[in-house]
Amino acid sequence: MDLMKELTRNAEQVEILNLQTETTTIMFEANQLKSSSVAQTRGTAVRVIRGGRMGFAASSDENAVMKLASNVLESASYGDSLDFKFPSSLPAQEVRTYDSKIMELSIPRLVEIGRNILDLILPVEPDARINLNIKRSVQSVKLRNQTGLDISFERSPLNFELEIDRIIGDDVLIIFDIMGTTEWIDDNLGFVGRLVEQLKMARRLTTMRSGNMPVLFSPFGALALALPLSQGLNGKNVYKGVSPMRGRVGEKLFDEKITLRDDGTLHGRPGSAPYDDEGIPHKRNVLVENGVLKGFIYDLRTAAKVGVESTGNAERGLFNQPEPSSTNFIFQPGKTSVKEMIASIDEGILVESLLGLGQGNIISGAFSNPLALAFKIEKGEIVGRVKDLSIAGNVYDLLKKVEAVSQEAEWVYGTFHAPYVLLPQMNVFTKE
Amino acid sequence: MRDRIQEALKLSNADYTEIRIEERESTRISYRGRDLENANAVIDKGGVVRCLLRKHGWGVATFNNLDDLKNKVEQAYQCALVAQSDEPITLGSAEVIEEYIHADMQHDFRDVSMAAKKSLAENYNNIILGSNDKIIDTNSVYVDSFSHIYFANSEGTYIEEERPSVIVATSAIARDGDNVQQSHESYAGPFGFEFVQDRDDMPRTAARRAVELLSAKSVSGGQYPVVADQMLAGVFIHEAFGHLSESDFVYENPKAREMMVLGRRFGRDILNVYDDGTVPGQRGTHRYDDEGTPTRHNDLIKQGILVGRLHSRETAAKMGETVTGNARAINYRFPPIVRMTNTAIENGTTPFNDMIKDIKLGIYACDAYGGETMLENFSFSSGHAYMIRDGKVAEMVKDVILSGNLFTTLQNIDAIGNDFKWLTVGGGCGKANQVPLPVGMGAPHIRIQNVIIGGQ
Repeated sequence: MDLMKELTRNAEQVEILNLQTETTTIMFEANQLKSSSVAQTRGTAVRVIRGGRMGFAASSDENAVMKLASNVLESASYGDSLDFKFPSSLPAQEVRTYDSKIMELSIPRLVEIGRNILDLILPVEPDARINLNIKRSVQSVKLRNQTGLDISFERSPLNFELEIDRIIGDDVLIIFDIMGTTEWIDDNLGFVGRLVEQLKMARRLTTMRSGNMPVLFSPFGALALALPLSQGLNGKNVYKGVSPMRGRVGEKLFDEKITLRDDGTLHGRPGSAPYDDEGIPHKRNVLVENGVLKGFIYDLRTAAKVGVESTGNAERGLFNQPEPSSTNFIFQPGKTSVKEMIASIDEGILVESLLGLGQGNIISGAFSNPLALAFKIEKGEIVGRVKDLSIAGNVYDLLKKVEAVSQEAEWVYGTFHAPYVLLPQMNVFTKE
Repeated sequence: MRDRIQEALKLSNADYTEIRIEERESTRISYRGRDLENANAVIDKGGVVRCLLRKHGWGVATFNNLDDLKNKVEQAYQCALVAQSDEPITLGSAEVIEEYIHADMQHDFRDVSMAAKKSLAENYNNIILGSNDKIIDTNSVYVDSFSHIYFANSEGTYIEEERPSVIVATSAIARDGDNVQQSHESYAGPFGFEFVQDRDDMPRTAARRAVELLSAKSVSGGQYPVVADQMLAGVFIHEAFGHLSESDFVYENPKAREMMVLGRRFGRDILNVYDDGTVPGQRGTHRYDDEGTPTRHNDLIKQGILVGRLHSRETAAKMGETVTGNARAINYRFPPIVRMTNTAIENGTTPFNDMIKDIKLGIYACDAYGGETMLENFSFSSGHAYMIRDGKVAEMVKDVILSGNLFTTLQNIDAIGNDFKWLTVGGGCGKANQVPLPVGMGAPHIRIQNVIIGGQ
């Protein structure tokens, strides 16, 4: 059965998405290569607009095409009334998402890369226990709709998920990072060095007082600031009226050192592709420029609700309808060096990672988290790790006054690019 | 299907091989505000082959195309050859099982029309929308899922099981100026449509609480005695303690083994904690786990002492303990790993009023809003909370986030309520990308001394 033909007979608009992925994974558990796997998945997701109402259905069973067709039409009879059109073909920027060098990595070569990573850590940190997944995928995406739009592209994500535990007596430290790329980089193990550096620095322990003091967020730590903002900048929360930034485009909401972008057109990044998951070309969207709110991210549905254009930020899995989502989220680097920033602090802390990020009422901007890894800065120098600290505040207040943003910036957790950010005053609590 | 699976198993050259095939159909209705966002059905069908080569390790192949199972067995075997475990891997012994388990639903949701499911969700959603003009947004969801699972291994076990699941959940979001607050309520269980009908209290509670939170003040940070309700106590014992008793956390880690050594005192004599996959009607209940091991009652803490932990066949053999029936997988895309089933703090003897009557200044924390643990450190937010003043529950407070060290906190539990209940909430547990796994949680009220509460 030709699904497109069948459905266009019954609905005004039809969209068919075919996804196919093959992922090869090797898993090191506690420094040992304990398993490897190959996962082949494929499936079809369909949306129709029939009588002005949206229907959705999906299936991973390719013998169930008839059922898929009847499910999507039934879904449309209960669906949401929506005033939008699936896009016709629009020209997109060239975005590199596939690299044959990644595809050609043999399993023995992946094992060798894994061993190299262990060799970077274990000689320096013999007490470390490493869990490492190396995942290499090839994904093919094919999206068609009734306008004749027919997009297909392939992606070759290579991901390293690295977690290191170190337990020495009662001193417990767990750190992790995810490195992702779709283009082979010769020096792709830099992230390992950063984690090893953290482990080394964390060997010296010190204590400090509670109080109001300067807080320096590392690129990892800056996620605590970015997470509430990325929710507030999401068109879905704007349309629903829950974003504190709704209706404030053009206003200066933050310190002028803050510029935020969403950019799905960067070559080789995990969040990149020529098109979003509804066939809209990816763009470079400036969201906050020098502290001034410029705009939000939207997919077709939320854009139609608000009365604007999609920004090309639709994201979906096989079994879910698209939602607005950031592609690669970029906090623009500034002018100060990290060295200068640390040197400027008489008494303060460096935040590397927080526990329980994303919990609580974060859409309001409020956060309150214990610090999983933080260092004390005294008289312009990092003097040691401090345990049992926590910080709390509201990013909408805190980011009105930013002391400095670093020149140096890093990709963390795959799709977030951030500098070091220094806030002049924040509440820091210790247990005592 | 059985013949095809068993034929493919016969061809395996591995020391141990298992095949799990899953056919699942699921319906989802969701409202956000006045918009119906989803009213749809999905079909998911696929399988996983897992092979063990003792001297190497595990190989896993997952797939949607079921046409060539023999080829997938070969693929999993090739994957196992790649692994290079330091020591040979053995499996805890398991009896050979042959069983067909049918779902027990009073009102099979597969016989209920999409229209009826939609009007159920719409009714709950409308209750929230109509309850107060400060309500600006909602999230109301109905989800059912029916899986038919075929499991067989090279030792001769063959199990077919039907697994139904039904969930209703509502969130109410209220706003007053820049102040936005929300509250969430849900019901879920391995039942039919009957389980989620006539739950009008659920959206009413969510709406009332979201509006109440608008006028709640932020708690001031500090150390307090905290009384946790059944929900928060249940989530706490699952998150902060339960995960540490999953043996894959300790079996390869001598330091963690030391920390979790059996016989260590974890709490006072009043504290008893267990995990039990056999409790009728709970979300983590199954007759067998996803390795075909029968589930059972496992004591974890008995009179304050650590007495047990949860195992897969691999971790049980490695640690020289018996299998417990805790190897679980969320679906065919994953191999089973050590997971909890239904985890609970056993009922105690202290009535709620006795628990609070001597507290001059403390917090009554209810509901869990999220949380994270990192080894013995944890952080949880409660959904809503009240101050306790001079032995009485007083005004509502918000932004109550509890954090601390697990061992100190368990030792500081100095009263256990006599009002045990199993939670019937939706959601699920996440571990190693396998989320959401349905689990059961239960507890009475508990009182904990000296809890650190974050605050502005």
